Parts: sequence; C-alpha cells; structure tokens
Amino acid sequence: MKLLELNKVNVYSKNNHRLKNINLTIGSGEKVALLGNSGSGKSTLISIINGSLLPSSGKVFFKDLEIKNLSPRSLTKIATIWQDLRLIEDLNVLQNINVGALGHHSLYWSILNLIGLTDNKKSLNCLNAVKLPINLYKKQVRSLSGGQKQRIAIARMLRQQGDLLLADEPISNLDPYLANAMIKLLLGLEYPQSIEVPDTILMSIHRPELISNFTRVIGLKAGEIIIDLTSNKLREQDIRLLYSNP
Amino acid sequence: MKKIYLSSPILCLLPALAIIPVLTNLILNIHLGGVYLLLDFLKSAITPSTDKLVILSAIKGLGITATIAISSWAISSFTGIIIGIISSNKFWIFLKGPSWLGKSIRRLLAFPRSIHELIWGLLLQSTLGLSPLVAIIAIVIPYSALVARVVADQIDTIDDRSLIALIQAGTKPINALITSIGPAILPTIISYIGYRLECSLRAATILGIFGMGGIGSELELSLRSLEFNEMWTSLWLLIFSIFAIEELLDRFRLWLFTKSSSGRRIIISLILVIIITIMSIILLYIQNQGLFLDIRWNTVKLTDIQKLLIAFNELDWLNLYADTLIMTLLAAGIAIGIPPLTLLILPAEIGGKFLTIIWTFFRAMPIPLTALILLLFTTPSIYVATLALAVQNIGVLGRLLKEGIEQQKNELFHSVTSTGAKMRSAWLYSRLYSESKSYLGFAAYRTDVLLRETAVVGVVGGAGLGWQLQESLSSFDWAQVILIISGYSTLTLIGEAISEYSNNNWINSSNSTPSHHSLQY
Amino acid sequence: MPTMPIRKNLFVSSVFLVGNIFLSTPKVIAEQTFSIGAIPDQNPERLNRLYKLLSEELSEKLEVKVRYVPVINYTAAVTAFRTGNLDLVWFGGLTGVQARLQKPGAKVIAQRDIDSKFTSVLIANKSSGIPTIKNIKDLKLLKGKRFTFGSESSTSGRLMPQYYLEKANVTINSFKGKRPGFSGSHDATLALVQSGSYEAGALNEQVWKANLSRKRVDLSKVKVIWRTPPYANYHWLAQSNLDKRFGKGFTSKLKTVLVGFSSKSPRQKEIMKLFGAKKFVPANANQYVEIELIGRKLGKIK
Repeated sequence: MKLLELNKVNVYSKNNHRLKNINLTIGSGEKVALLGNSGSGKSTLISIINGSLLPSSGKVFFKDLEIKNLSPRSLTKIATIWQDLRLIEDLNVLQNINVGALGHHSLYWSILNLIGLTDNKKSLNCLNAVKLPINLYKKQVRSLSGGQKQRIAIARMLRQQGDLLLADEPISNLDPYLANAMIKLLLGLEYPQSIEVPDTILMSIHRPELISNFTRVIGLKAGEIIIDLTSNKLREQDIRLLYSNP
Repeated sequence: MKKIYLSSPILCLLPALAIIPVLTNLILNIHLGGVYLLLDFLKSAITPSTDKLVILSAIKGLGITATIAISSWAISSFTGIIIGIISSNKFWIFLKGPSWLGKSIRRLLAFPRSIHELIWGLLLQSTLGLSPLVAIIAIVIPYSALVARVVADQIDTIDDRSLIALIQAGTKPINALITSIGPAILPTIISYIGYRLECSLRAATILGIFGMGGIGSELELSLRSLEFNEMWTSLWLLIFSIFAIEELLDRFRLWLFTKSSSGRRIIISLILVIIITIMSIILLYIQNQGLFLDIRWNTVKLTDIQKLLIAFNELDWLNLYADTLIMTLLAAGIAIGIPPLTLLILPAEIGGKFLTIIWTFFRAMPIPLTALILLLFTTPSIYVATLALAVQNIGVLGRLLKEGIEQQKNELFHSVTSTGAKMRSAWLYSRLYSESKSYLGFAAYRTDVLLRETAVVGVVGGAGLGWQLQESLSSFDWAQVILIISGYSTLTLIGEAISEYSNNNWINSSNSTPSHHSLQY
Repeated sequence: MPTMPIRKNLFVSSVFLVGNIFLSTPKVIAEQTFSIGAIPDQNPERLNRLYKLLSEELSEKLEVKVRYVPVINYTAAVTAFRTGNLDLVWFGGLTGVQARLQKPGAKVIAQRDIDSKFTSVLIANKSSGIPTIKNIKDLKLLKGKRFTFGSESSTSGRLMPQYYLEKANVTINSFKGKRPGFSGSHDATLALVQSGSYEAGALNEQVWKANLSRKRVDLSKVKVIWRTPPYANYHWLAQSNLDKRFGKGFTSKLKTVLVGFSSKSPRQKEIMKLFGAKKFVPANANQYVEIELIGRKLGKIK
C-alpha cells in the first residue's frame, strides 16, 4: 500500500537548486536508507516530506492527502528525528520525551507536563528502549552529552507513535555498539514489547555497512535521485559513484 | 602627534570626569547654615526616633507603599506578559495573522513606556482624584509596556527550531508555544519580573513623596518640617526593606532555577503571588475605606489649536531641553564612571565590601529625597538634581559591575598578575577589561532610564521639563501639560533609539550571552 | 500527588471570588459622607488635630457623617474638589479661584475675620545681614540671596509676595542660583530660614504669629523684614450640589453653623484657636477678583 508519494518536487533556495524533479513513492512497511554526501539534499528531502518546508513546485502526498493540507492529528503520524535534534534544552529528559506525545493531548496536559505531573509510564518505556539509565530522567537536557541527547531524540520519536519515521542521521554521535543497537530498534528488528516502532522508515545514514538491514536504498546526488534499488542489489561502485566528486 | 586610542576600560572610567563640574558647583554653593543642618541630619542617622507613634506610622506607611507596589507589580506583570505575547512577531506568524499587527502594537507601546510613572501619577491625579488606585494605575501603565517589550523581545529572539519540530509533529500551536518557548524564556522573564518588584517599591515610594500616600509621604513630611530623627526612622525602614527584597529575590532566583523541578516551583510561586496580590488589594481597600473605588472621571477641557500655539510660544523649549539633557548626560557620566573608579581605587576585599554597603544604601534612597536633602545645604540648581539622580544610579550600576566581575573566571587575572603586574593594573587589565564592553552596553541602556528619571528630580531641583510640568499642572494649564508631555515623550523615544543602537553595537561585539542583568538595568 | 495543586487552585479561586465580592460592594457609605479637606499649608499633625475636631463639630450640627480627607499638596486639593472627592474645602485665595474656575457654580461660604485683610511677611536669617525694609523699592536688596517661597500655589507664601517683589523688579530669576526654593509649606519656610538653609523667605503672617506664640521662633536667628499690604485670602468653598445630596437648605445651614462658631462652646473655641482667629464671617466671590487678576498676571491662572 502506498504511504508516501512525491510528485515532480523541486526546491530552489536563493542561488541553489536543492532538489531536482524528485519523483518517489514509498509503500507501507518499507525500510528505506537514504544515502548521499553532505549537501546532496537529504535534509531538504526530509523537511519536504514532513511538511516543515514547502516545495517550490510539485506535490507531496501522505496517505493520498497533500501534505500541506494535513490536519495536526494526521501530522502526528509522521515522526521525525531531526539532524539538529531540536530538543527543548531547558526541560528535563522525561519532559522532553513527553513532548513527543504533545500532538495527542490537550493544552491542560501540556501544562501538566511543564510542571512534571503527567503519567510517565510510556515515556519511561521509551527511555528504557534507547538504553539510557532510568535515573537520568530528571536531568536537564542541556547538561547531557551529544550521544545521550541523540538517544533522547529517538525516545521522543518513539513516544510520538507515528506511522512514518523520517530520521536524519540519527546515530551520528553514537559509538559502534550503540549505533548498531539503535538501528535495530528503529528498524523494528529488536525492541522491547512495551513500545511501538514506526512501520515505515526513511533514514539518512553515512554508514554503508549497515545498509543490509534496510529493504531499499535511495541515493541522492546534487539534489537528484541517482540510485533507487533494493538493498541487496546495491553494489560497491554505486556507493563510489554516489560519494565521488561531481 | 600620537593618536589617542580609547579602549573600552578607559571608556568606562572616563565619564567619571562629569563629577568635577557637579561637585565644584555644589561645593561653591554650600553655606554655613546648611552645614549645621547637614551635620544635624547625619547625626540623626544614628539616633532615629524611637517614639512608638513615629515607628507605628512609619510601619503603616511602609505597609501602604508595599501594598501599592505589590498590586501594581502583579497587575503590570500579568498585562505585560499578555501584551508582550500579542506584540511578538512569532505570535502572529503562528496564528497566520497579519504580522504588521504585532509591530504596530510594539510601536504603540513606546509611548506609555517613554513617560515616567511619576508623570503618569501627576496626570492621573489631576483627572481621577485622590483614590490610591491612581498610584497603582500610574505604575501599571509604563511597567506593563516595559514588561511587554522584554517578553516580546525574548519570544522573537529565541531559537525556534524545536518549535517548528513540534508543529511538524502535529502539536497545536498554543501547546507547542508553551512547551518549547516557555521553558527557554521563563528564567529570563521571571528574573526580570522579580526585578520589577524592586522597581515598583521605589516607584510607589516616589509617588508617595509626591502626595500619593505611604512611606514616601512620611519621609517628605518629616524632612520638610526638618524632623530628621523621625525621617530616619522611616528611611532606615525603607532601606532595610529594599535590601531585604533584593536579597530575597536573589535567593528566590536560585531556588527557582537550580533544580529541574522548576516547573512545579513556578506554579507554587505563582499561586503565592496571586494570594499576596489579592491580600494587598483587599488591605488597600480596607485602609482607604470608601476612597478606594472613589474614582471620578473628570474630563479635562481639551484645548484647541489656538491655545496649544500660545502655550508653545510661552514655553522656553531651548532651555528646558538643554537643562534636561545636561542633567541626563552629567548624571550618566557620574553613574557610569564612579563605580569602576571606586573599585579601581579600592580593589581589596574590604574595599569591595564597603562599596557594596554604600551602593545598597544609594539604591534605596528615593531620588527626590536625595535632592531635598542636598537642598538643605546648597542652592537649587541643576547640579543638585544631577547629583541626586546620579547617586541612585551609581548604586544600580555599581552592583551590576561588581556582580559581573565576581562571576568571572580567574584565569585572565592570574595570567596578568603572574607577569608581576601590581594589583591595580592587573585589575584594570583583566577584571575591568573583560567586563567593560557589556558594562558599557548596560550603561547605554541605563542612560535611557536616566533621561526618563529627570522628570522626578526636575520637579525638586527646579530644572528641566519635570519642573515646568509641575508648574503647568499647578496652574491647570492643560495646553502646556500636553505639550510638555509630548516633548518629553519625543526626547525619551529619541534617547531610546540611540541607546538601543549603541547597545546593539556593544553587546554584539562582546558576544555575551544575555543574563538576567542585561535586561534589568 | 496531582490532586494537591488542584485543591490549591480551588482555594485560590475562592479567595479571588471573595475578594471580588468585597471589591464590588457599592459605595453607599461614601455617597452619604460629607467630605471636607484643606490645602496642606501647615504641619500635618496640626491639621489632623484641627480637622478632626471640626469634623466632629460639623457632624453633630449638620447631622451627617463627616470625613476629613488629608491632601498632601495644593494642586491635589484643587483637583479633589474638581473631581468631587471633596465637598467642602478650606482654600487659599489662589487655589480657591482656581477651584471655582474649574467648577463653576461652587459657592464661597465663609472666611475668618482675619482673611479679608490678610498679610504675608518676608523673613530673613539674621546672619544674612538683610536689613528691615522700609520702602518697597528696597526689596531689591533680596536680589542674589537664597530665597524660598512656600508651596507653588500658595497665595500668601508665593503669589502675593512674588507680586510685590516684582513691583521692586525682583523676579523669580533674581535670586541666587537663578531660582527660588519652594519649601512646600509655611512651617517649612520658617524652619529653613531659621536654620540658615535659606537667607530669606516669604510666609503667611498668621502662621508666623502662631509660631511666635507657641515659641517655635528663635528671634535671635530670624526676623521679619517686610510686611505686604493687605489682601483677601483663605475661604471655605463648597460644591454647588450639596442641597441636592444632603437635603434642601443644607448649604445655608452649613454657612450658619460656620459663622455661628463662638467661644461659648469649648470645642468651637478650640477650633477657632487652631484656625488662629476669633470667628468665621460670611464671604463672597467678589473679594477675590484682585487675586484672580494677579494670578493671571503671574501665570498661575490661565
């Protein structure tokens, strides 16, 4: 079943053609790896899909509805792990994870969260899933390390319970062991029963060795899709081509 | 010829030169009769009246002032936050409304802000009568606008990436605003609002000196009848309460923000504030049985163009403006230059402690009272007004400078002393140098405040626009009153624009993160 | 745990509610109260004593609740009369005219026996070397001296002295520092000149005499150097709507009561003593035409 569709999408910035005529369809349940060197347009593509950036031309559909017309409720189904994380540094860990669920709740609940009076069971499960010690929950995010923050961003995403996960280099700050564990978590290969993981995934990543875990690979170069294969068909020279200088 | 280069520490010290013309003029005008009076005044400081009635009436006065201060503070903080939110650009962007609306609200706010609460008080007293509500409204009008500006600035300068992330994830705009922007700006805003409480207390005291009740009236009356012992009873009480409030607020800030459970503490504090405010208003109501709500709206016969033209020609604009500007610049010079200069002369630990005490004392002295005391032994002149204005601001800027220096790390200082430099030069090159740029930035901000405060002191010192306003009000010449207020407003708005410009330059170049101090002073 | 703040909220809102009820009670009491006031020309303790007695006396004679509302400066007294906060005010000549111009229809009720021919005195500190002045032209000796008036809007402490000083070409810019002081009240003027803070000053002769008799004046330090010609000064001014609010004939009853004060009643005697006079006499607006002219000339009335 088709979940996401991009139709002739172009993005121009001041003096740059950042995405060139992108046509892309992603079906429910696909696990897509997004490859490409820095500046190839990966983050732009993710912003276009989650609707935080509108394309200069072309259309984006999520569940057959154009993304710019989606209601807030439908938007909660698209969960994003941003490259710059976008955590709220002045709040503590648990409050930040709760932020993932803000779209499901009322104003009253968001105030309760600010004073730390919400029911935290689900968020604690998420915290546990990203392998952070439970006693960290009261720490202010500002005081944590880059790797810890990244995992909190993952936990917040889990708390959102979306159908589509857009992840922009979600493991860049993690050591190999944790990176592996998180990939398995995000791809739904290994995760505790207490949580849900989005079924469909588009993840930009800089580690070709992990690609075997995905079902499909998309390669972006200078704003264009130049590779679109199932992951087992990806060859060494494809990767070399992708990361070579133009 | 060698070119002189003014580095920033020198720019901090140089304005102190302004003290020379001011002190020369005052000393030349000191007279013997006044010297006895001054000695008498100083002696009374150690022997304040301990008469039970005097103490009781001082305490009652302080109570009235405190209730006025708390009520006006709470109301202005509340309205200020609301207005601040609706005057921010982000608010309108997220509502998808016209963004010019926020901008125009901000422009409009410049007017109430540009006029000192005392002027509002005198004006409102003329139109609304004797109710103590007048004092509250007089403080609420400019303070709401001040708080609103800070809130709007905070909202608009905050990093909003996490807000966008929340909106993307389907969060309703209002929830997203509260969750992502709230925690980021609240510490600054709460610190600022806490500081406004100190300001409110000073403002309510000054309004008292001009007849709106409370400890200010007690001070004024006992000073006018030269009952120094009685005056010191009230003054010590006031100094003690201002000191206590400063200390309490410092502790409160620590309590509120050092733990991560601050959300709950904020709510608890909010509830406390609401209870205290309601109690204050009820107390005020009881104290002024019958008068509290006795507001009589009396429209002043608005003047026609003809009268305005006549009034315009009657006023000696050049002199009024000149006096006001001279007072502002000289007072600013003294207030900026003296704190680093005294710290330089007395850099030792004990010297610093001594200055802290003196400055606390300076901050607590109501400006018009300082002027009245100076008038006991000199003749009225703009120099009296200037010095009175400078004294309180030395206290304010001194505290700021000292706290800034105390928060510094010691590396630079040690690296300079390790070269064998003497303590004082080391202090100049490390401590003052590191602090100087942001200090000058805040000083520019403060100059702006000083310009507004000339209103208070002009009335007493017989100089500038403030004095003319009092004169026109007592002659019930509304045409003149309108003109003077517009004149004042124009002047302070220009001053604000200039100081904002220079402030941006200094702060940006020093690249300091905004602490709560940057907003307070 | 989560219920606790809710309970607190309830508590807060109920306090708020009670507060609101408190605040919204109509001001019935205020409407029926007859409010009297005065320009604060003397020490407030003295005024409090005087007007407390007067309120009691009027309350008994007029059979209404009388309240004394203290006002801290002259302008505020005029304003309070204009805004209707005060029903009956003891005004000076100038403030009375200002008040009547802003509230047409207000009625001049009475004055003291001394007010139709009132005088101000100029006093000087003896160490200033200013001699007693025989000829009005010699007032120019005050040029360059430290000089203080009383309140800005005082008739006897500023307006009339300034008027006569200007006749001798002494303007307010002729004093030392190019400006005079404004002490705020007659008592303050006396204290400041006696202490030497100012070399000379102007005050109301009745206050001067009252201080003399209470031995508050140190004649080794301060002396009278000149006395102004007589002019009409203080008077009672009443709102025009008193009959409507307190019953027909109230205004004339008020006048009769005030004029009827005599030394037979101990309280009335004490009141008149504090007023520094023997009795109140009827007064009318025409007596203050000269004050109005001078007020306009000096810019205090527009």
